[in-house]
Amino acid sequence: MNTYNMVKQRFIKKWINTLHMLDSSIEHPLNVTERKNAIRLSSDLAIAATRSGSTVWSRALISRSGNKTTNKPMARRILKKARNRMKNRCNTLRRNGNFTAKSGTRKRTDLLKSLVPGGEVIDDKDYLIRETLDYIVYLRAQVDVMRTVAAIDLVTGNLTNDRRNK
Amino acid sequence: MLEGLVSQESLSLNSMDMSVLERLKWVQQQQQQLQQVVYQSSNNSHELLQILQFHGSNNDDLLQSSFSPFQMLGSGFGPNYNIGFGPPHEAMDECISRTSSCHMEPVDTIEVLLKTGEENRAIALKNKRNPEVKTRGEEKTEKKIKVEAETESSMKGKSNMRNTEASSDTSKETSKKASEIQKLDYIHVRARRGQATDRHSLAERARREKISKKMKYLQDIVPGCNKVTGKAGMLDEIINYVQCLQRQVEFLSMKLAVLNPELELAVEDVSVKQAYFTNVVASKQSIMVDVPLFPLDQQGSLDLSAINPNQTTSIEAPSASWETQSQSLYNTSSLGFQY
Repeated sequence: MNTYNMVKQRFIKKWINTLHMLDSSIEHPLNVTERKNAIRLSSDLAIAATRSGSTVWSRALISRSGNKTTNKPMARRILKKARNRMKNRCNTLRRNGNFTAKSGTRKRTDLLKSLVPGGEVIDDKDYLIRETLDYIVYLRAQVDVMRTVAAIDLVTGNLTNDRRNK
Repeated sequence: MLEGLVSQESLSLNSMDMSVLERLKWVQQQQQQLQQVVYQSSNNSHELLQILQFHGSNNDDLLQSSFSPFQMLGSGFGPNYNIGFGPPHEAMDECISRTSSCHMEPVDTIEVLLKTGEENRAIALKNKRNPEVKTRGEEKTEKKIKVEAETESSMKGKSNMRNTEASSDTSKETSKKASEIQKLDYIHVRARRGQATDRHSLAERARREKISKKMKYLQDIVPGCNKVTGKAGMLDEIINYVQCLQRQVEFLSMKLAVLNPELELAVEDVSVKQAYFTNVVASKQSIMVDVPLFPLDQQGSLDLSAINPNQTTSIEAPSASWETQSQSLYNTSSLGFQY
């Protein structure tokens, strides 16, 4: 129980850091979509870094996010070695092509693999479900924290607006 | 795009409202369950109460006091490193098999207390160890105890989970106890009454039980999975849930982008947020209770063996365990959260 809060705490610290790093590397002004992408990117990187790289999904998420940002040193700073390893594996798999799903379960596991970052490289169904569980937990933490932050921002925004109006 | 934003917001608002109600119901349910179990348990009722209270609330003192009897047993086990299928598996198993004495699995302890004696406790606790160590421990305890109602599989890697079904009816346990066959070979699977005992079927059964256990854990984490049976349906639910969460992240990041024109989280908010997250104790009188959703062990990885199957609804809205000023602020913001 304590650890869930600790996870959220670690996540928010890392998120602030990644947001700062991203902020310094991107030119302003930004429109809403770019801001959203930056926030999403920093949030994903932070949650993957909170998991600290012993799971497949966290490494895959970092490598995937690292491709989106132009600032590669930043991604590398967060997770050094495993990122490149993960990226190479993912790319080779995509190059080999997709096979069509035979049964309903097969189709669904493929879909799940596409949802969970790094799921494509996992062959064992058992391990895939484990990864999914872990990923869901951290995703929940991410959503909780972001919701809290958004609520706080909304409230403080209202307060400052009231002050200005008065 | 703005309309989409508003509609999504109303959706999330509805979910938050529902989740508040759900949370209230859950709290009531937990208290009822607590009372029920208190009445049902014959001995060790005090510990049971404590453990259930731990599970329902967020109280550090209860946690410490209820797990002190288990601490000495838990400390004897130490970190176990599984030689799994490869580096990622290994780390995963390491996280899962490492038992911190503070975060004892509630279900484990409940079942333990329902059985008789301290030896059973030792067995339930030792089920998390890796195969080699398990054989040693098993040989010791087998001499002490006649029958064991659990089936175990000590195959390498992921089979290291605790294998109890969290059975609450003791009559079933006694019948299983009567038909137990003790085995001391490498694969420690005990056959139940009327089932084949040759190697292949044992291994097959162990594998099947492993997979079904995984599905059960998934049911506990993904809300609404209880009604669906069959692998395809549950996979559907899981996929749906993951997609939902990912969409929520997307939406929340858009909202933050709208609210923050400078791509910065304000510093005062940061300190407040940190204070919010460090403040762990939640009063039962407050409307929002920080629900222990997913038991994580010390490293923050998923402790799969600790998930309570009795947990039905999962609560969406975050809690408000906070300093006084911020608490009222937060409550008003999340309760009256409308555009």
